Amino acid sequence: MVRCASLGLLRLVAIMLLAGLMGATLLRIAPGFGSDEQQFNASLSSQSLQALRQARLTDSDVPSYYGRYLVSLLRGDLGVSHSLNQPVRDLLRDRLPATLRGLAVALSAAWLLGLLLAAGAQLFRSPLFRFLANGMSGVFLSTPAAVLALLFVVLRFSPFLAAALLVFPKIYRYTFNLLQESYELPHVLMARAKGAGTWRVLLWHVLPAALPQLLALAGVSISMTLGVILPIEVICDVPGIGQLAWQAAQSRDLPLLVNLTLVVTLLTVCATMLSDQARRSFTRSTV
Amino acid sequence: MKWLRRISFGILLTVAAACMAAGYLAPAGYEHQFRDLPAAGPSAQHPMGTDDVGRDRLARLLYGIRVSLLLAPLAAALATVMAALVGGVAGYAGGWIERCMLLIVDLFLSIPWIFLLVTVRAALPLNISPQASVTVTFALLGMLGWAASARVICAGTRDLMKSDFVWMARASGFSGFKLLRLHVLPNLRDTLLAQFWISVPVFIITEANLGALGLGVAEPLPSLGSLLGELQQLVTLRPEPLRFVPLFVLIVIVSCFQILLEKRQVNV
Amino acid sequence: MRRWWPWILLLAGLQLQAQPGGELRFCIHSYPRTFNPLLVEDEASETVRYLTGGVLVRMDRITQKLQPELATEWKVSADGKRIRFKLRTGVRYSDGTPFSAADVVYTMQQLMDPALHSATGDAFRSGEGAVSAQALSPALVEISFPAAVANLASLFDTVAIISSKSPQREMAVLGPFYIAERKAGSYILLKRNSNYWKKDANGRPLPYLGAVRLEVEQNREIEALRLQRGEIHLINAVVPAVYDKLSRSDPALVRDAGVSADTEQVWFNQMPGAPIPAYKLAWFTSTNFRRAVSEAINREDMARIAFHGHARPAVGVTSPANRFWFNGKLNHHPYDPDSALRRLKQDGFHMENGGLRDKSGNEVEFSIITNAGNSARETMAAMIQQDLKKIGIHVNVVTIDLPSLLERVSSKFNYEACLLGWINADLDPNLQMNVWLSSADNHQWNPKQSSPSTSWEAEIDRRMKDQASSSDERKRKQAWDRVQQIVWEQEPFIFLVNKDALVGISPAVKNAQPSFLRPQTFWNVEELEVK
Repeated sequence: MVRCASLGLLRLVAIMLLAGLMGATLLRIAPGFGSDEQQFNASLSSQSLQALRQARLTDSDVPSYYGRYLVSLLRGDLGVSHSLNQPVRDLLRDRLPATLRGLAVALSAAWLLGLLLAAGAQLFRSPLFRFLANGMSGVFLSTPAAVLALLFVVLRFSPFLAAALLVFPKIYRYTFNLLQESYELPHVLMARAKGAGTWRVLLWHVLPAALPQLLALAGVSISMTLGVILPIEVICDVPGIGQLAWQAAQSRDLPLLVNLTLVVTLLTVCATMLSDQARRSFTRSTV
Repeated sequence: MKWLRRISFGILLTVAAACMAAGYLAPAGYEHQFRDLPAAGPSAQHPMGTDDVGRDRLARLLYGIRVSLLLAPLAAALATVMAALVGGVAGYAGGWIERCMLLIVDLFLSIPWIFLLVTVRAALPLNISPQASVTVTFALLGMLGWAASARVICAGTRDLMKSDFVWMARASGFSGFKLLRLHVLPNLRDTLLAQFWISVPVFIITEANLGALGLGVAEPLPSLGSLLGELQQLVTLRPEPLRFVPLFVLIVIVSCFQILLEKRQVNV
Repeated sequence: MRRWWPWILLLAGLQLQAQPGGELRFCIHSYPRTFNPLLVEDEASETVRYLTGGVLVRMDRITQKLQPELATEWKVSADGKRIRFKLRTGVRYSDGTPFSAADVVYTMQQLMDPALHSATGDAFRSGEGAVSAQALSPALVEISFPAAVANLASLFDTVAIISSKSPQREMAVLGPFYIAERKAGSYILLKRNSNYWKKDANGRPLPYLGAVRLEVEQNREIEALRLQRGEIHLINAVVPAVYDKLSRSDPALVRDAGVSADTEQVWFNQMPGAPIPAYKLAWFTSTNFRRAVSEAINREDMARIAFHGHARPAVGVTSPANRFWFNGKLNHHPYDPDSALRRLKQDGFHMENGGLRDKSGNEVEFSIITNAGNSARETMAAMIQQDLKKIGIHVNVVTIDLPSLLERVSSKFNYEACLLGWINADLDPNLQMNVWLSSADNHQWNPKQSSPSTSWEAEIDRRMKDQASSSDERKRKQAWDRVQQIVWEQEPFIFLVNKDALVGISPAVKNAQPSFLRPQTFWNVEELEVK
C-alpha cells in the first residue's frame, strides 16, 4: 500500500516535472517569445526598447530557467508573471478556486446528464428516446463553446452549465457504446433470459462490466472538462485560471505558463491515477 | 430503424454531392464580394443572402462544408488510429510498458500544445495556399487529439485480454500485433467509433477557435468552423435565421454519421 | 413608535453608505499591469492613472487647449529647454499629506531615472544630458532639459505627481478618486477623494460622483450587453456592429463623437537585409508600386463595409480630427485601378493571363500579415485581397497572433506587408519622432538605418528635427505639413481609414461630453453624475 502510494507520488512528480519542462520549451521555441506590445509604443526611447527586449529574454535559456524555477519552487516562490506584474502564487491562489468550483459543477452535471441519457437509452429501448438523446448530444457536440457560453450569459445562466452541456455528449457517447457492448455479453443475455428485471440487469450485470472503462473515462473527463472550461472562462470573463492561461499564451509569459502547466498536470494525473486505482480495486474485488 | 439509416445515408450523399458540385450550384465564387449588397437578406440572386463583406452565403457554405468534411474526418481517423495503437499496445503489453505509455498519455494531456501549433504555422511559408495551411492544421489536430481516448481504449484492451476468446486465440498461437489486430481491436469497435464520431465536430470547432490565434483557415477560403465563428457575435446578431444554417448543417451531418456508424441495438 | 426606530436607523445607515452622486461603472479590458503612475504602459493602467492622478495641466478634450490643474500658471522659456510652474497652494494628497513643489521635483527625478524606462519619461527625453527639477519655493518649480522639448507643457498632462513624503507612496493621490478596493482580474473600486482640491463654479466640491467601479471584461459583446442592461454606464470604444445594433434598439445609449485620430495602414517591408526575395524587395522599394497598390484599394468601400460607415478614407498620417496639425491641402488617394495599372506599367509590370508580372516575369504575389482576432482588420485584409486581384496581384492574407506578428515586424523582419493600426492618443506629432526618424526603432518599413537610404527619408529626418527643436508653433506646423506631404507622395505607409470614435453612454450619466481623444467618455470625470 505504502509502496504503491510512493510509486504513485513519484510518477506524479515525474510527469509534472516533464510537463513543466516541455511546456516551457514549447513556449520558448514558439514565435513571439520575447516580444512585447510596447515595442510599438512610439514614446519609448531606443534604450527603453532595448531594456524591454533584454528583460523579456532573461529567461530564454530554458534549462537554466527551469532549474532556477525548481529551486525557488522548493521555497514556495512560484515566480512573477511578466504580463500581469504579480506573483504567480497570488494569482493562482485568487483564481484557482473559481476554476475548481466550475470544474466540479460542470463535471457533475455532465456525468449526470450523460449517464442518465445513456442508461435511459438502454433501459427504455425506445428508438424515439435514442433518437432524441443522440440528437441532443449531436447538437451540443456541434455547437462552439463561445456561442453556447455567450448564450448562457445573455440568458443569465451560469456559464459552467454551458460547459456541462458541451462535455456531456462525449460522456454520453462513450457510455452508451460501453453499455451497449455490455448488454451483449453472454452473462447479461443469460441473466435476461432467466427473467432478471431491467434495473437488476443494469445495476448488477451491465454496469459492473462497463465500469473499468467508465472509470478510465471518468479520469480523462476531468481534462476534457478543463479543456472546455478554460476557454469559457476567457469568453465570459470568469476570474479563473482560464483567463491566466490565455494571458500566458498571448504574452508568452513563461513563469505563468509553467505554473499553469503544473497545475493542469496535477489535476489531470491525479484524476487518472484515482480512476486507475478505483478500476484496479474494482477488478480485484470482482475476481 | 433501417429507414432512418437510409435517410441518413441519403442526406450525407446529398451533402457530399452538393459540395462536389459547388462550382455549379453556387451562385458565385466563395471569394467574390458583392460590395453593394453587404449583409443582404435572401434573394433570387443570393438564396441565402450575403455575409458582412457581401460574399454569397450559399457558396461559402458549400465550399466550407467541402473543406471541413474532407479534412475533419481524416484528422479524426488519424486520432482514432493513434489512440487505438497507443491504447491497444499499452493494454496488451501491460506491466511497465503500459505504465510508460500511460505516462506519455498523461503528459500529452497536460502539455500546452497550442504553442506547437503556433510554431508549425510560423515555420510554414507566408505564401502557402489556404488549402495547404488548413490541411496542416487539421493534420496537427489529428496527431495531438488522441490522448484522451487512448486511456479508455487501454482499459478496454486490458479487460479484453482476460476474456475467454482471447485466451482461446492465444492458445491457438495468435500473439503480438496479429492478436491485437484480429481479436482485440475489432471488439473495441464501439469505443473507437465513439472516438471518431466525437472527434469530427470537435476538430471542426477547434479549427474555428484556432482562428483567434491565427491558426484557422486563411482568407478567402471558408470552412464550416469559420462560418460558425459568425455566431459569436451573439449580441449584435441580426434576426437572420440563415446565420444558423452552418450550425444546423453540422448538427445534421454529425447526427447522420452517428446513425450510420452506430451498431444496431440487439433486442432480446 | 418603538418599532420605527430600527427602520430609521437602517435608512440612516443606508443613506450614509449611499454614494453621493452615485457610482459610475464601466469596463476595462484587462487588469492593470501596474498602479505606479510613472510606469503606465497599458490602457487599463492609464485609466486608473487618469482617475486617480493629479497632473499639473490637463488638455480639455473638446477645445484641445491646455487647462490649469495643480499648476495655476506656467511659462516655457524661449529656447524650449525650461518650464516654470506656479503651483496651487493648500492642496493635499488623499491621505492628507500636503502637496508642494518638492513633490514635483521628486516626481520628475523618479520619472527621468534612466533605470525606470518609463514611456511617460521617455517622451521628455530630448537629448543627451540630465533633466533637472528645482523647487524655487514651495509653490514654484522649474524643470530644465538638456535640449528643447517640443510642446513641453502638454506633456505634463500624463505626469501624475506622486508624493515625496507620504508613507503610502504612489497610492496617495491628488486626483478625484483613490483606489479603495481591488480584486485581481475582477474589479477595481475607486472612491471619491475627499481631499480633492477642485470645486465647481458654485463652489461645490468635486467630483460629484461618490465612486467609480472598473470591471474587467474582455468580451466586447458582453460589454455591450451590460450597457444595454444598465449594469455599466460607459463604453469608451464601441465596435461598429454593436453601435449599429444599439442605435436601432436604444439610440440614447450610443453616440458618434466624430472622426478619431486613429489610423489603419498597410506598409511594405523595405529592409535591405530582410529575408524576402530580392525581386519582391525591388517592388516594395518602388514608389510607383506603393502608389499603385494604394490607388487600387477602395477606401470608401472599406469605410462603408468594414466599419459600417463609421470611418472615413484616411488622407495621411494625421487625421482631420487633429484640427491644428492636419495638412488641409491633402486629400485621400482616390480609388483608381486604371491609374494603378499605368503606374505599374512605368515600372515594367505587365498583365499575363489575368495575373500581373514584373519585368523579369515573376508573378506579383505577396502576403499581408495582420493580427488575428480583430474582425475589422481581417475584413479589411480580405477587401484588399479582392481589390488587388482586380489588377492582377495575388495577395495571401495571413492572420497571426500578436506576439508572432511583433516578432516578424520588429526583430526578424520576415514579412512582406503588414496591416495594423495606430492609436494616436496625443495630437502633437513630436511624439511620433520614433516612427519618422530613419534611425529609429519604430521606423517600421526600414528601421534603424545608419543613414537615410532615400532622399525623402533624409528630408523627413530634417523636418522632424526642425519641429522638435523649435518652440514656434507656426514653424513646427510648416515642418509637419511638409512631412505629411512627403508621406502622402511616397506612401511608406498606405493609410487606409480613420475610424470614428463611437462611444456608449447611459442616459443615467449627466454632464457627459464625449470626445474622440482618450479617455473618450470620462475625460471630465469630476463633472459626471449618475442619476
